[in-house]
Amino acid sequence: MKVKYTFVIILTILALVLSACGGLGQSTPVVMRVGWQGSPDTLNPGAAVLSEAYTIFGLVYDTMYQLQLDGSFKLSLAESLTVSDDSLTYTYKIRDDVKWHDGQPLTAEDIVFTYDLYATTDGYPWMGDYTYYFESVEATANNEVVITLSEAIPNIDAQLVFLYVLPKHIWENEDGYEFENTAMIGSGAFKMVEYKPNEFVHLASNTDYFGDKPKIDEVIFQTFENSDALVQAIKTGQVDMITEMPNTAVETLRAEANVEVVAGAPFAPGVTDIIINQVTPENCPPDDGVCSGHPALLDRNVRLAMAHATDKQKIIDVVLLGLGTPGTALLPDGLGIWYNSSLKDYAFDTAQANQILDDAGYADTDGNGVREMPDGSRDLTFRISWPSDSIDSPRMAELLSEMWGAIGIKLEAQALDADALTAVCCPAFDFDIILWGWGSDPDPNLLLSVMTTDEIPTGSSETGYSNPEFDALYLEQAVELDQQRRVDLVWQMQEIVHNDVVYIIPFYSQNVQAYRSDRFTGFITDQPKVELSDITSLILVEPVQ
Amino acid sequence: MNRYRYLLKKIGWSVFTIIFVLILNFFIFRVLPGDPARAGIHDPRLTREAIEKIRVRYGLDKPVINCFQSINPVELGDCGINPFDTQFFIYVRNLTQGELGISYHTNRPVTDVLVERLWNTLLLIGAGQILSIIIGVIFGIFAAWKARTYIDYGALLTGLLAWSLPTFWLGIILLFWGSNNGFPIGGKITPGISSYPFLFRAGDIAKHMILPTITYTIVFMGEYMLVMRSSLMDVLSEDYILTAKAKGLSTFQILKDHALKNAMLPIVTIIAINLGFTVAGAIQIEAVFSWPGLGGAIFEAVIRRDFPVLQGAFLLIAVSVIIANLIADLTYSYLDPRVQSE
Repeated sequence: MKVKYTFVIILTILALVLSACGGLGQSTPVVMRVGWQGSPDTLNPGAAVLSEAYTIFGLVYDTMYQLQLDGSFKLSLAESLTVSDDSLTYTYKIRDDVKWHDGQPLTAEDIVFTYDLYATTDGYPWMGDYTYYFESVEATANNEVVITLSEAIPNIDAQLVFLYVLPKHIWENEDGYEFENTAMIGSGAFKMVEYKPNEFVHLASNTDYFGDKPKIDEVIFQTFENSDALVQAIKTGQVDMITEMPNTAVETLRAEANVEVVAGAPFAPGVTDIIINQVTPENCPPDDGVCSGHPALLDRNVRLAMAHATDKQKIIDVVLLGLGTPGTALLPDGLGIWYNSSLKDYAFDTAQANQILDDAGYADTDGNGVREMPDGSRDLTFRISWPSDSIDSPRMAELLSEMWGAIGIKLEAQALDADALTAVCCPAFDFDIILWGWGSDPDPNLLLSVMTTDEIPTGSSETGYSNPEFDALYLEQAVELDQQRRVDLVWQMQEIVHNDVVYIIPFYSQNVQAYRSDRFTGFITDQPKVELSDITSLILVEPVQ
Repeated sequence: MNRYRYLLKKIGWSVFTIIFVLILNFFIFRVLPGDPARAGIHDPRLTREAIEKIRVRYGLDKPVINCFQSINPVELGDCGINPFDTQFFIYVRNLTQGELGISYHTNRPVTDVLVERLWNTLLLIGAGQILSIIIGVIFGIFAAWKARTYIDYGALLTGLLAWSLPTFWLGIILLFWGSNNGFPIGGKITPGISSYPFLFRAGDIAKHMILPTITYTIVFMGEYMLVMRSSLMDVLSEDYILTAKAKGLSTFQILKDHALKNAMLPIVTIIAINLGFTVAGAIQIEAVFSWPGLGGAIFEAVIRRDFPVLQGAFLLIAVSVIIANLIADLTYSYLDPRVQSE
């Protein structure tokens, strides 16, 4: 018995000693360790939902276009593009030197197969949207892909940029939805080595890549479920880069000599919005609508007064510890050219806000500190809700309650489970005010559609806003092929919704990341968007000599 | 004969309980509000048609059970349909074939997810349980033996303190301390070493286990210590112990031959209950140290309304609690033969 124990103890000590030695004398490859809080939900690009999955797809797969950190698109798999005069037919000449990670050549056939798979597989959450305008996709003998559209659209690049190209010789034998794709044969600059769900993703550089090859040998994404551990891991050098951190950690990390903290618009630009229910009885969805919004919110004066009474800088300072930019319209500044930077925000001015409400006839006649409707029927007491998993929202609601309290508006706050919130939100319109947010596509179309009349019954419209002029402009920009003219239209639309105070946008969020400056250098940090783990950045990174 | 009947009765009850849990498991998650097809995704790209197609893929378009299209919100449906066209009977049929289904969230078979996580949990919590039982019981015996001395008070205070420490807080403190002293603070193994020799990997896992195991041991040993101490002190105050003392037996002999066996009963109960729940993992410790165990999987599945994973995990927990209790019952009848004759 005793001998056995001694043996176990020796074994354990041996293991510990061995592990302390490390490396075992192999030539050490340059490995970058990245810490993040999530993990891909699945490696099947059609079925994936989480952004962590998309990060991995961006490194392992290629697409027709690559999205740059300045928001522009660059041809990637294709070397040239010709567009027909009616803008319905796009012919992409595919590069001849592209190989899958298993050595097979990547051809136009693979691309056609992939686009068909995305368009026809039931259960893929997003792909139907991106392939919606495809009438047909064909490969020619000349290694070209010919896409014929059902109508001319201005943003085929934005439709193709997330359609990761998959190897036909592997996927044709699998069920497009159920295939787990753990081997993940792609064609990108990095290839899959090992994937352990909820633990790590291990990638190695693809030495046969047709484009610029990575200067590092391996990248490992490691999951830390808790943000304190994540911060501690970069502080002590257990990881070389982290893709996220709580704002409270920023000061501590900035003080570290070997850690560089960077901030900028997220890769998928994000916006936090104060949603105001302004659906009119005529527009109330006949099937699902409850439409219990406070009638005062239909009055632009009330919304305008609320906008004037909102101290956005204070919200940013308190809630985000300064890491955000004040917002105007729903399109975030991270959208680059599409963002209307000329909009002048409503100044924070409580006196002016009070004046607006006085002039519009909302007076506090019963002296309870809350104004009433002009006909005296109801107090200006609004319900305000937010998703219960949000960290920022409770404090924001508290601040708003204080700020709007100063102009005689009372808030009744309640956090709701995300599902319950969806149920009251839209298309039920059974709320007054909701604090929520969006992540945006690179193209503005999506966020603009959210404010059109057509989307009120579908549940995409959160405010119930309806303006024929805006709707007409929306349809116009959706088919405007000239980019500058489209930008003008999009700017005009932002001006309209800003003037109508459809939303109050407290801030556009920022992405805060950090890396070990004593180990790696070369990350792209001077662009409007910051994403250290994006392929465009990772390809340039090299170890510090 | 008596013993067999006792055994059969206990096993019979266990089987009955498991069947009950199986049925409850199905309905309890469908009473939860929320739609797994949306899983909290707030995105305009998720169109109604896409949601409908996802629902069809998951089989959520089918009625929950005869007469009920849905149970939250309650929506009555056709009673005359083929039962095997309802979610409940499909679930039962799959179970009888040993199928737990496919996770909605990750698209992986539930069995794969659970087995992988179960091993990780058993490794971590198993080590923690064994250590805390050994340390707790020994300290408990020692404290009872030296009752009402400074040793006893010291042990009592330590035990109470350890037991009342918030797990999460203790974990974070150890995490900060450990990260500054070269201990790995996240995960089960250093990523990227799967091609290294087995001993090297085992050592790496052992290193990753140190901090979470210490946390677990400190928090749980207090409970064992306190229970052991008070139960042993009870026994030591019995008349037959006095008799043994009078016969001139040494304290060690009294403890070993007369007191311990009787004092073990409450400890066995606690150990059995804790072992059953061990399978559920220690969710807080797993969260602090990013340990890929079952607790984290269950938490995530609740958030995403991942019914198949939830059903599988709860079945697993229920079965292990029931089996642990069965083992406890059987151990009882061995430790205290009076139990089976009742």
